[in-house]
Amino acid sequence: MMRSENLSQLFSKLDDLKKVFTYGEKLIPVIQSLGEFMKETVPLLENINRSIAESTSKIPKATNQIQNVTSATEMATTEILDLVDSLNDDLTDIEKTMVEVLAKETDKKDFLMSLIPMLKKENAELFIKDFLNKNCNTEKLGVLLLQVGKMKNDSNSIALSLQVQDITSQQLATVNHLIESVQDRLSSLIEDFDNTKITEQDSNLNIPEGASFDPNARYSKSIVPQQEVDSIFSKEMQTASQAEIDKLFN
Amino acid sequence: MSLKFLIVDDSQTMRRIVANSLKNLGYEEFVEASDGKDALIKLAADDGLNFVITDWNMPVLSGLELIKAIRADEKMGKIPVLMVTTRGVKDDIIEALKAKVNNYVVKPFTPAILREKIDQILASNGGSN
Repeated sequence: MMRSENLSQLFSKLDDLKKVFTYGEKLIPVIQSLGEFMKETVPLLENINRSIAESTSKIPKATNQIQNVTSATEMATTEILDLVDSLNDDLTDIEKTMVEVLAKETDKKDFLMSLIPMLKKENAELFIKDFLNKNCNTEKLGVLLLQVGKMKNDSNSIALSLQVQDITSQQLATVNHLIESVQDRLSSLIEDFDNTKITEQDSNLNIPEGASFDPNARYSKSIVPQQEVDSIFSKEMQTASQAEIDKLFN
Repeated sequence: MSLKFLIVDDSQTMRRIVANSLKNLGYEEFVEASDGKDALIKLAADDGLNFVITDWNMPVLSGLELIKAIRADEKMGKIPVLMVTTRGVKDDIIEALKAKVNNYVVKPFTPAILREKIDQILASNGGSN
């Protein structure tokens, strides 16, 4: 015999069931529209997937092109350095020859000047000095030597400016690494699409430990970076020395 | 004392620029190495090498690892090492100091800075190594 308490429980549960069905009826249109939305979305997702795959396939070409740029600039830099070296060698030869000529000219001038007291003729001094003024090239040679020196300094400055090649190649290597990291992420995204499962990945593209490039390489002709380094270096050196002294006495 | 430099850099351009600068400063002897491992081979093969100028970021063996390897070696442990690198942040300098680098230059450098640092190292080493 069913007790009245049990019956009221049964009615309550039937009531709950009715509510579920009523809710289900309301839910059906939502589920239907969700289904339609999914039908529309799948081609879109497939399209995105295709685009990502296409973009990913182009990345190796982009990284190759960057490497080609690095190689080309290194080659060009080497050629410029060869030319600068050759220019410097020529200038050094010219400089040596000019120094020799200048020495001879100076000797010639000194010799002629030494003749003045020996010559008994009137106006001999005037004559020789006038001759020297017209024919002696020591001053001109001095000016030319200064110019050659300046040219050598300029060509050395050109060579030093070519440090930019090393710095830009490190910057390009950093870009290449970032592109390759993006490619890895996109490839894993494609796999996730195929497995209909998208996992969240951290967006931090880290530079690997021991990379052969500096991601923060910058070309700056300012003396400030070296001054900052010197200041840190001497401060840390002092700290290290003090620590060593303390270690000895403790 | 005559100095024979080992210039270590993976960039051929930088090796040439450092060598040219040394030449202009009056130094005549230098050997080049393209990474830390190559440098260790050259140091082992040539007793005359008595000054190392090295980059930090290099393949195979970095400049920092090279300094550690030099300092750990009984024979070449006291060779002066000058780091020439683009890395100029405090943590890097401290790391290099811990590895016992003798001095530190940031790229791009000038011959005047190079001379200053070489002189400082030689003075602190009492002109010998």
